[in-house]
Amino acid sequence: MNDAVSGIALGVVIVGLALSTFVTRTSFLLAGARFRLGHRVEVALRYAPVCTLAAIIVPNILLHPPAATIDLSVLNPRLIGALAAGLWLCWSRNLIGCLGSGMAAYTLARLCL
Amino acid sequence: MVKGGLTVPWAIMMSLLVYAGSAQLAALPLIVAGAPLWVIVTTGFITNLRFVIYSAALRPYFADEPWRKRAALGFFMTDFTFTRFMRSAQEGSLPEQNRDAWFAGVCSSNWITWQLSAMTGIIGASYVPTEWGLEFTGTLALVALVGPSLNARPAVVGAIVAAVVALLAFPLPFKLGLFCGAIAGIAAATLADYWQQRETPHTLENA
Repeated sequence: MNDAVSGIALGVVIVGLALSTFVTRTSFLLAGARFRLGHRVEVALRYAPVCTLAAIIVPNILLHPPAATIDLSVLNPRLIGALAAGLWLCWSRNLIGCLGSGMAAYTLARLCL
Repeated sequence: MVKGGLTVPWAIMMSLLVYAGSAQLAALPLIVAGAPLWVIVTTGFITNLRFVIYSAALRPYFADEPWRKRAALGFFMTDFTFTRFMRSAQEGSLPEQNRDAWFAGVCSSNWITWQLSAMTGIIGASYVPTEWGLEFTGTLALVALVGPSLNARPAVVGAIVAAVVALLAFPLPFKLGLFCGAIAGIAAATLADYWQQRETPHTLENA
């Protein structure tokens, strides 16, 4: 494992993430009497996870880490794996099937292409 | 998570303390890439922002409970337990009294199942060779997490804008491209939601 992420730094990250879980989940349960959520803010909060995750996933799939160039080619194994997982997800909501088909397509593409 | 670059004890600690699957999965690639602390924590925080809404929705049911109990019920609330609670509340099948105990029961059984599965995965993964590319399951799990929420047009618009901006802004330092993408996506989704409501105001009344 990478030394740069070990030890104290990792401990701080974990405590920070734990705090973010605690603060968001207990926010209104603890302080709800004093604040109200505006409609516009509520809408923005509702879409925050989808947008953040999309901003993480898509570069993860399309960018090759060393060169950081966009790889839209149909031969990109990560793209093939993600498409297979996405198709499976449209077809059934089964998580294991989604991961399994995605990994199978990714592995096949990686070994054969 | 172990395949994402954490040792087994750290991964177990993360699962126990953070207890938020999407935030953990979002943080993992950043930890591996050696991103700055504040970037990792802020990303986790944004991913957790939906819980603010859940918290506001639960408040009326537990307003009379002491703060310590509200804090505990809040921390152990997840996407699943929240959805389960609200469904029972809408069906009217919640007990008249001891709702706190009912919810604590749902949350604790969910916690035990989650942590047992996480431990199995953390320990099991260390026996899988790295060449299998198992760390890609992290990205796929995020795909599975996002998929079902793409059922409304504003969410799709937001996700596309977020992805395109994140790709274009990727060369920025400190993973700032991630935030640019997320913020642009949230703004686009909020606007799209606003326009959709204006075009079809009836859906608002029926919802």
